[in-house]
Amino acid sequence: MNLFLLFLSALLVNNFVLVRFLGTCPFMGVSKDVDSAFGMGVATTFVLVVSAAVTWLIEHFILGPLSIPFMQTTAFILVIAALVQLVEMFLHKTSPGLYKAMGIFLPLITTNCCILGLAIMSVQNAYNFIEAVVFGLGAGLGFTLALVLMAGIREELRFADIPEPMLGAPIAFICAGLLSLAFSGFAGLI
Amino acid sequence: MAKSWKTLVNGLWNGNPTFRLLIGLCPVLAVTTRAVNGIGMGLATTFVIVCSSVLISLLRKVIPDKVRIPAYIIVIATFVTIVDLVMNAYLPDLHQVLGLFIPLIVVNCIVLGRAEAFASKNGVFASMLDGIGMGLGFTWALTVIGAIRELLGSGTVFGLKVVADGATTIGVMSLPPGAFITLGILMGIMNMISARQKKRAN
Amino acid sequence: MSESVRMVVVLSVIAMVSAAVLAVVYGKTSVIIEENAARALESSVLEVLPGTATVNIIRREQNPLREEDPKEMREKEQKTTIIYQGVDAQGRIIGYAFVGEGNGYGGAIRVLVGVDESTDQVINLKILNHSETPGLGSRVEEEGFRNQFVGKTAQDPIAVNQDINAISGATISSRAVADAVRTALKDTVELYRGGE
Repeated sequence: MNLFLLFLSALLVNNFVLVRFLGTCPFMGVSKDVDSAFGMGVATTFVLVVSAAVTWLIEHFILGPLSIPFMQTTAFILVIAALVQLVEMFLHKTSPGLYKAMGIFLPLITTNCCILGLAIMSVQNAYNFIEAVVFGLGAGLGFTLALVLMAGIREELRFADIPEPMLGAPIAFICAGLLSLAFSGFAGLI
Repeated sequence: MAKSWKTLVNGLWNGNPTFRLLIGLCPVLAVTTRAVNGIGMGLATTFVIVCSSVLISLLRKVIPDKVRIPAYIIVIATFVTIVDLVMNAYLPDLHQVLGLFIPLIVVNCIVLGRAEAFASKNGVFASMLDGIGMGLGFTWALTVIGAIRELLGSGTVFGLKVVADGATTIGVMSLPPGAFITLGILMGIMNMISARQKKRAN
Repeated sequence: MSESVRMVVVLSVIAMVSAAVLAVVYGKTSVIIEENAARALESSVLEVLPGTATVNIIRREQNPLREEDPKEMREKEQKTTIIYQGVDAQGRIIGYAFVGEGNGYGGAIRVLVGVDESTDQVINLKILNHSETPGLGSRVEEEGFRNQFVGKTAQDPIAVNQDINAISGATISSRAVADAVRTALKDTVELYRGGE
């Protein structure tokens, strides 16, 4: 498939959060202000790209040749968990500034289902190595975009007059629904 | 006995994973286009929670503290793969619909959350009850959302036609935006009921 | 036993038990899963070739390379195409069906195409699986879109904007289905007729 199309599809049309519902937990949890939303987005994108590459290698050099497809879920999630730990340690040692910005989000990323979801999807769609990485990048940037937009809306919501039972999460979900509706406009992009 | 009962019902309302704790949301939004899908996904997740909670509770004294998370992940992933394979073999249609979200039960925060917060500290029986309560709480949330979206989006509930022929359905309810909006409104209604209960108790 | 040794032992034991259990479950279920897939495909064949009572499976070897190329290379390039032949209750051949693949928005779209035995015209098609956007790309499953392919032969262009109208807002998905039908039709008719 055309790489640009793949990228655009993962970024906008099939946005991971708003259309595919992958990574909804951090989308709701870490979208209270724009700064931390951006930090979370960048950290997730980074892990997505690295894990897209690593899980591709695992699938094609270990699981495939040994013909043990039933170990896929177990192997992928363990690799992702280990990878997140490694990234955390690496950042801690080499770049304290970046660690300070991204560090607190990293432990949350292991259980973000977009990482495992992406790994499984790129196996299902039989992507090659480059496609898998581009897919990861598009998905990560799409996640960041949705998160930052949502955080912007929620910052404004603080000044809105909202009925008491709808305060907090309920109104945030309604906004997410409207955002998702807006994103469905991208469907006719090409 | 009273304590066991409390453990069991906690997940159904007060500690409901979907409406109260806001965890495990991805499948809640993604698979609830139909009520049947909601039940299927809910029961699959319940199976994984109960089995892994029981096993982790059994092994809680054997597993060293430092490696407990990887150990829990392996246990959970094993049960998830079993569900995935068995469902593919015996319920292929449902498996096709739920698709990616079956393996993703692994990263459902409810499962790992219960393992870490409850099963690793409590006995086997209590862990089982906690797992059943949480699982069923998750299942009913998914089923209700599924039924509402199915009714508004395609005019059926559990596949049975309930609106008159020719009645207009709100197609957007079966699309992604409908999932967010339904969940938001349901949460608001639940908050309202709880607030009223509290007022009456005072 | 020191703490770190115990960690390694416990984790390895858990991992090994897990792998063993999964291997057993996989062994038991994979047979059923394959049977299910075969049965599902067979019932799809009945849909695209109405009147079919039994389905014959024909395997055709396809080799794009010539005799003089090295043997190993030819073996590597060799691929088997499966054609499903529909036979009615009286033993007459109704037609044949095959699976075509095109690249849609969310991944591959697999299409089963049924072709008439005597005229080589498309009778019907069925979208086997897709992961297109619900409500847009998924509309390629609708009858109105699929009916455009009925009556086409390998000589027709079968392309969006020529003889196929794309679904508005789902050009990529429509093109993927047209691609799947066109490429599979051309290859398979040749293979099917060539093998006789």
